[in-house]
Amino acid sequence: MDKETVATISYLSRLAFDKQNEEKITRDLENIIKFVDQLDSIDTSDIEPLKSPLEKTAKTREDKISAQNRKEQFLKNAPDANDDYFLVPRVVE
Amino acid sequence: MTWETVIGLEVHVQLSTKTKLFSGASTTFGSEPNTQVDLIDLGLPGVLPVANKEAFYKAIRFGLATNAEINQVSMFDRKNYFYPDLPKGYQITQMEKPIVGTGSILINVDGAEKLINITRAHLEEDAGKSIHDLFDGETGVDLNRAGTPLLEIVSEPEISNAKEAVAYFKAIHQLVTFLDICDGNMAQGSMRCDVNVSVKKIDDKALGTRAEIKNINSFKFIERAINFEVARQIKRLEKGESIIQETRLYDSIKNETRSMRSKEAANDYRYFPEPDLLPVVISDKELEEIRITLPELPKQKEIRFIEEHSLEESEAKILASSKAMANLFEDASTKTKDSNLIAKWLVGDVSALLNKENISIEESNLSSVNFAKLIERISDKTISGKIAKSVLEEIWVSGNDVDLIIQEKGLVQIQDESILEDIAKKIIEDNPDQVNAYKGGKEKLFGFFVGQVMKETQGKANPQGVNEVLKKLLDT
Repeated sequence: MDKETVATISYLSRLAFDKQNEEKITRDLENIIKFVDQLDSIDTSDIEPLKSPLEKTAKTREDKISAQNRKEQFLKNAPDANDDYFLVPRVVE
Repeated sequence: MTWETVIGLEVHVQLSTKTKLFSGASTTFGSEPNTQVDLIDLGLPGVLPVANKEAFYKAIRFGLATNAEINQVSMFDRKNYFYPDLPKGYQITQMEKPIVGTGSILINVDGAEKLINITRAHLEEDAGKSIHDLFDGETGVDLNRAGTPLLEIVSEPEISNAKEAVAYFKAIHQLVTFLDICDGNMAQGSMRCDVNVSVKKIDDKALGTRAEIKNINSFKFIERAINFEVARQIKRLEKGESIIQETRLYDSIKNETRSMRSKEAANDYRYFPEPDLLPVVISDKELEEIRITLPELPKQKEIRFIEEHSLEESEAKILASSKAMANLFEDASTKTKDSNLIAKWLVGDVSALLNKENISIEESNLSSVNFAKLIERISDKTISGKIAKSVLEEIWVSGNDVDLIIQEKGLVQIQDESILEDIAKKIIEDNPDQVNAYKGGKEKLFGFFVGQVMKETQGKANPQGVNEVLKKLLDT
């Protein structure tokens, strides 16, 4: 695994790491992938992928409103908000 | 060099369910920000989504109406990306097993029909709204829309130009409103589309590199965005430059498409099966129940109108073009056998008024009850066609009842022959010169007398009655 791939994975998951840990993280990721790659040694071309480990199907809902307005409570618990909106650092230029 | 354009559309249709795809929060448009949010929409830890059955039923209605395969076992997947209006950090969508498989829809461009194949239609949740320009240095997030069910309809790349793309989008719009699965309100974003555009040399087998124009929500902008993008790509290729596969944004003010400059290379959605949701199974019985409740579709209506009411194809097409228009026609049909009269009014005066203001029937003051009454009053000769025109204009402004308008303005047609005769006699007496000229062979003057009677009665005289009375008095 090269440094670029590690940087991409880090960006996609929005997780940063210290430069000094780069070697270790690269090695760890390599090991994880190597471990999982063992599965590739089995030929599964004739086997339908498992959709869910539970042999059950979903229960669905009727289309009825069950949620109340809890705006104040929700906004109060957010790291930053005004009277109406959740606020985050500006995401466009 | 001749170039060929290849277009594929991804249309996002907001399904008109009362609640969200995975939570019991309301989907009403235009409410105060963040008042229609549930724990599930917020993506709080420990909550589990439960699928809304009605969203599946609505999606299936679309599938059946487009002769599509319905996947009675369908699954959800996660599409991972970070954006503030997507609190969970992933969108729940259907990748591997969409509810609706391959289908097709007929489009009409300048009278020529073309079948466009639909690759698939899948359910997914809408994101919230980000407000960028209201707060200094910060983005505001409103999650009312987060979790609203969308049906994403993906076409095959079989659309050849901007006109066809608009016709396709219109056909989908017409269908989803007929099926009552979407309110079709474009201004409120109930239907949006992403357009994939590429060009290639006519003889080339392989498709060119495509650009995706995101999030267009009007018929006009689809056409303009495609025309701009096609011209841009051809210009680049003719200069020997290449097309970059990227996402572009259409700027309606500058009428251009622009690269969104996103970190496209790093955009990897890492789809995987959604572990929080089990496969949703639709039984044969449910499928059958949906099938029998499908309404008559535009094309079927058109054919029936031609057969039952002996209308022209062009008229029938307009009358079957929207649910509201068809309702006006059918309600009025119960009041008179003269279908041509109704068609004439709808295709003519009513359509003209709608076009003038660029509104739909639902947005106008014209109700089907009132229109039926207007037609009834024309056919029972209470008012003449000319007066009916002014009544229609009055309805357009006030929405008042036809009979009320006729009564208040004293518009009842004069049919009584003796009254018409008295008026005609007076006019003949007052205009001896014209009478002599007419009797001397200037037959065109007949129109003069008709005009005078109409003027005297402020247009209320029954034209046929006037003709008869004048003929009797002048020609004998």
